[in-house]
Amino acid sequence: MNRKVVEAAGKRLSLSNLKKDLYPSYGFTKAQVLDYYRKIADFILPHLKDRALTLKRYPDGTEKDYFFEKRCPVHRPAWVKTAEVHHKEVRLTACLVNDLETLIWVENLASLELHVPLARAGSPKTPDSIVFDLDPGDKADILDCSKVAMILRDLLSQMKLASYLKTSGKKGLHVYVPLNRKEATFEETKKFSKAVAEVLQRNYPELVTAKMTKEERTKRVFINWSQNDPSKTMICVYSLRAGEKPVVSFPLEWEELEMLAKKGDPKKFRILHSEAVSRLEKKGDLFRELLTKKQKLPLGSSDTLR
Amino acid sequence: MALQEIWNGTISFSLVAIPVKLVRAVEAGRVSFRKLHSKDYSPLARKMYCPKEETIVPADEIVRGYEIAPDKYIVITDKELESVSPERSRTIEIIEFIDIKDVDPVYYDHPYYLVPSKGGEKAYRLLVEVLDRTHKAGLAKFVLREREYLVAVKSTDGALALITLHYSGEILPDEDLVPKEEKAESEEKSRMKKIIKKMTADFHPDKYADERRKKITKLLEKKAKKQGTVEAPEIEEEVEEGVVDLVAVLEESMRKVKEHK
Repeated sequence: MNRKVVEAAGKRLSLSNLKKDLYPSYGFTKAQVLDYYRKIADFILPHLKDRALTLKRYPDGTEKDYFFEKRCPVHRPAWVKTAEVHHKEVRLTACLVNDLETLIWVENLASLELHVPLARAGSPKTPDSIVFDLDPGDKADILDCSKVAMILRDLLSQMKLASYLKTSGKKGLHVYVPLNRKEATFEETKKFSKAVAEVLQRNYPELVTAKMTKEERTKRVFINWSQNDPSKTMICVYSLRAGEKPVVSFPLEWEELEMLAKKGDPKKFRILHSEAVSRLEKKGDLFRELLTKKQKLPLGSSDTLR
Repeated sequence: MALQEIWNGTISFSLVAIPVKLVRAVEAGRVSFRKLHSKDYSPLARKMYCPKEETIVPADEIVRGYEIAPDKYIVITDKELESVSPERSRTIEIIEFIDIKDVDPVYYDHPYYLVPSKGGEKAYRLLVEVLDRTHKAGLAKFVLREREYLVAVKSTDGALALITLHYSGEILPDEDLVPKEEKAESEEKSRMKKIIKKMTADFHPDKYADERRKKITKLLEKKAKKQGTVEAPEIEEEVEEGVVDLVAVLEESMRKVKEHK
């Protein structure tokens, strides 16, 4: 059996099916997945910390069935930290990935993708950031998303808001605005992101839609503002995505986006596991400020938005 | 039309494993209505009301109680309930095959279709064909929406159907329903047989339709054409003031962005 018992921070973990190929058409085994997450653990852990994890498990690899798990599996080791959270009126126990051993345990469950909410479990009503999930519709691509992302950056910076960008690891881009003040509620951030999406739609009707319907999205980029919701999760920065290849949801500097947009090759936006590791070693966590930068939602205080 | 997937996993027995998705097989035909406030057509919400305190009770003050005698309850927490809830099934593990004709329809609870997932098409077709030819159905235990069901997997019209079955404990006894026997005379018997034979037809369910539903739909169409619809008031109107300001700020910023280009 390809089973192995390892020790991390004095905790014993039994790893299983290490030779199983989880990305069969590319060739990337569970051992390699575990190795990836071990190498980038220091960078991803601050972004997972204290957030109710949604596992997206691919027990038989990315070409077979997957399932979401919001509940922390009951067979978890005693040292896995959990939090009681509410998901749409239902109370459930969720995993908190606060340390390396939990990260390894979660990956041993073949949860290739790690999805987390915008708020921490201890303060579920106030998100730490606003997200603009840029999702290209049919006949649109990540280059169209880049255009929207840059307009969005300019618009936000007009309002004195810094924004940070990452690839979704699939077809889209995610623009984040850190808040970190435990002040604005989801209700307020959603209202704000919706208003922003609608203003962009009004000004760039050929390029942007704020509506979910499929027809509206054709040839356009859908700004999914509804992700600013306590029940929603986003793919965590540095998480692998389940696809043909082990692509990572990875931060891009705005200058790099401009360059990539000029080059005009959607494939160049794809950052594979190995490149993710070497970039992190070179430049560190480009999303660091997402966790620390304090910014105020414009007109978001209770006196104007209520 | 792609039906919404309710569950996905595999059917398995012996060495067979077929990846499948579970989809709905029926859709309730009922026309449903929202309850509205007659004076302004606001949709109404259900709230939990405490008659003793004459107040609406918030969700975090509500617990579950199992009534054992009038006004006597055992309180069960979400956690306790969760601890006895079965884990979600990854597979439909067929325990045995039975003759589908042996299953009285009284046991049928709710039908679903199973459709093959990628890579399962061939094995799926094979199972459909063999079940069809042998009139057999596979029995399995299966967890759906936190409940464990006994299910029958059978073939239907070239596809697999999954039917959740009632447990035998749920079937009410029919013993006392039927009057004690009084031998029927053979003459009466043959007369009834004749009548039934005369009225026998092939089963064409499309001959029948829910007449009330048809009438309601027609009524709705007529009213929509004649009187149009009524609209619920915007609830958020009051709060929108801030958003109006926000939109103005955004539009102004947008204008500046465009100028800089």
